[in-house]
Amino acid sequence: MDFSELDYQAKVRDSLNKILTDKCSQDELKNFDDGFKHDDALLSLLAENGYLGLGINEKFGGSGEDLYDLGILFERLGYFAAPLSLTGCLVDVAQTIQKFSEAEKHRSILKSIVKGEIYTSAILEPNNQDPENPITKAKFNGDKILINGVKYLSEIASVAKSILVSVSSDEGVLLVLIDKDKVKLTPLASTANSPIFKVEINDVTLDQSSIIHEKGRGLEALRYLLQINMVMRSYIALGVAEKMTALIASYTSEREQFGRVIGTFQAVSHRAADCFIELECLRLVNQQASVNLNTNHDCENDALISKIWAGNACHKISYSAQHLHGGTGVDKDYVLWRYCLLAKECELINGSASQNIDRLGTNISSNQ
Amino acid sequence: MRNEDEILALEMLIQLNSKQSKLKDQLQEYFAGLISPELKAELSNPKYFEGGGPEFKQAMRTMGADGWIGLSWKKELGGKELSPMEQYIFVETVMRTGFPFPFLTTESVGPMIAEYGSDWAKDEIATKILQGELIFGIGYSEPNSGTDLASLQTKAIKENDGYLINGQKMWTSLANFSDYIWLAARTDFEVKNHKGISMFIVPTTNPGFSLSAINTLGDVRTNATFYEDIKVPDSHLVGNLNEGWSLITSQLNLERLALVNHGPVEELYKNVLALAQKTKINNDQFLIDLSWVKQNFAEIHSGIEALKLICWKQTWIMESGQLNMAEASVAKVYGSEFFIEAYRLLMEIMGELSLLKNDSELNVLNARLERMYRTASILTFGGGTNEVQRDIIAMAGLFMPRTR
Repeated sequence: MDFSELDYQAKVRDSLNKILTDKCSQDELKNFDDGFKHDDALLSLLAENGYLGLGINEKFGGSGEDLYDLGILFERLGYFAAPLSLTGCLVDVAQTIQKFSEAEKHRSILKSIVKGEIYTSAILEPNNQDPENPITKAKFNGDKILINGVKYLSEIASVAKSILVSVSSDEGVLLVLIDKDKVKLTPLASTANSPIFKVEINDVTLDQSSIIHEKGRGLEALRYLLQINMVMRSYIALGVAEKMTALIASYTSEREQFGRVIGTFQAVSHRAADCFIELECLRLVNQQASVNLNTNHDCENDALISKIWAGNACHKISYSAQHLHGGTGVDKDYVLWRYCLLAKECELINGSASQNIDRLGTNISSNQ
Repeated sequence: MRNEDEILALEMLIQLNSKQSKLKDQLQEYFAGLISPELKAELSNPKYFEGGGPEFKQAMRTMGADGWIGLSWKKELGGKELSPMEQYIFVETVMRTGFPFPFLTTESVGPMIAEYGSDWAKDEIATKILQGELIFGIGYSEPNSGTDLASLQTKAIKENDGYLINGQKMWTSLANFSDYIWLAARTDFEVKNHKGISMFIVPTTNPGFSLSAINTLGDVRTNATFYEDIKVPDSHLVGNLNEGWSLITSQLNLERLALVNHGPVEELYKNVLALAQKTKINNDQFLIDLSWVKQNFAEIHSGIEALKLICWKQTWIMESGQLNMAEASVAKVYGSEFFIEAYRLLMEIMGELSLLKNDSELNVLNARLERMYRTASILTFGGGTNEVQRDIIAMAGLFMPRTR
């Protein structure tokens, strides 16, 4: 049993804090409240300092294949509400290629990602609750494949070089990289103003070499992608929830009513304590999931449990924070509102708590 | 970048290491041998739910002889000096069996007497605790001193070569079959509450000692105990005069952690799951096939995982000799409130069958659910009430001001 972080990991957290404190101040964040929420300068800065190589093998310029490291990055991005949506690039594309691609053509993408080049994924589909069975179809035609379908929630697709897409075919599930210019992108305006797109794929023809994995391993690769995506989204949720809890503590320690600081009312401090408990649980289930995924790339139950706690913690802490702040919490001149919107996004994308409870229950019933 | 050591460093390990797993296997095997059908039968008799029967006493002596008492004690005091993690595994394994192991006697009172007791207490009492011969009742709470324990009024007045004790204690569990009471009494009335308390070993055979049973909702028997002009010699004082408070609080964190050990609830979860998988319903399906049943199991499972991790992490922190106050309280609050919720969800799964008692036909799993839900409420107020724990979390975890 060993819960301890390496010195290196503590240092990564500290220096990310320094960079993000500076680059994600209120004034900076305001620039991204409307319009395209993607801070390219911040992305370059993270690349220059090596933070886009977290979780990536040293031979591609990364700092080593440790998903806990990558978790630190997403936790901090969440904590600072950074205008960067990177799960598609750093998780779905980079990690899946790292684990499942043999071809040099694909593996070299990792080097580009570490340097700051943008890739993304388009996995989820409107009206499909089962991402392991994509509605989007691929037809084999000689050495080509023909793809048709509609995806959505694809992050920063407009600035990505290519998009990793999941499709169903006669040979089972495939993960293929499609050049951005071959698809139709439509920006979707969503609750936290995250830069997400609808991706329409109409009769797109690709070489079979666009498939990133060995023959027959598509479903395995997609399951892995979905699991690490859940865990890394739960790390964003952890950062968001940690910030909201910190805001509760600091605000209620200063705000006075009836001649005393409101944090001295038990009704207030106990609701804050409940947020702290929720937060600690989320931190631990995330740690377990990321550490277990390091050594075993199918840990679906651990990933589901992370995402269940993330969904519940985001919901409970967001409303506790709003309530305990009173009107200040909803005032857009204060900081809390951005986190509440992000919390809802973390809660719902790639499996809500109820959906994942259902899935976990099914696994348990068959002793999986 | 990682330095060379860090590249080679073992990764975090969020599971038992091989030595710890081995201990767990060893303990499981040991208890499987220890708990005979006769002992099992005795423990299902309400009179002996908390132990105290002849089979229980024999099992305690066997454990003493086999060296399974005194796990936390220092080696020079005759103990095993196991690490906090090893102790956690022991508690987990015993609790899974349902054997009412008297942890407070063997792992809290015992080591304190062995370390701070008089020569008589060390030779006579500590040795016999290690042999499994003695059981203690804990005399802390009083009718007017519960959560505010330091306000206790039972008094011990210095008289020649001893102390004269008078007062009343509440919730003195095990007193009906214990040999001694580990008693907190006021020895100085002039100083602040917690500064005037001392600890005594009081024999239950003294004619000034009496008790009356308190029967509880969970059919757990506890007692009110009365102390009338009980004279004990100086040798029965443990630790320095007026310094008892530090003995009371010294092991609170380990004790709290033992209260919310994830073993028993996980054991019950596994048993109910196995039952739901083989229980046929509606002629053509199994209980587990119902969607809401699966969901209940998933809720409990995801809750147990969090509890296990909280307890493991807290224990791991203790291994390094540190203590995180806020997280110890998180464990207490989360665990005690989760148990109540988990029993409810498990009972929903078995439905009306889970209402049937142990001596009833058709009961399930020896009516463990029916008993467990009735005892669950004790932990949210016992062992440091959850309101106080939340106060601690707000102060030590969130640095908020003290509540009034």
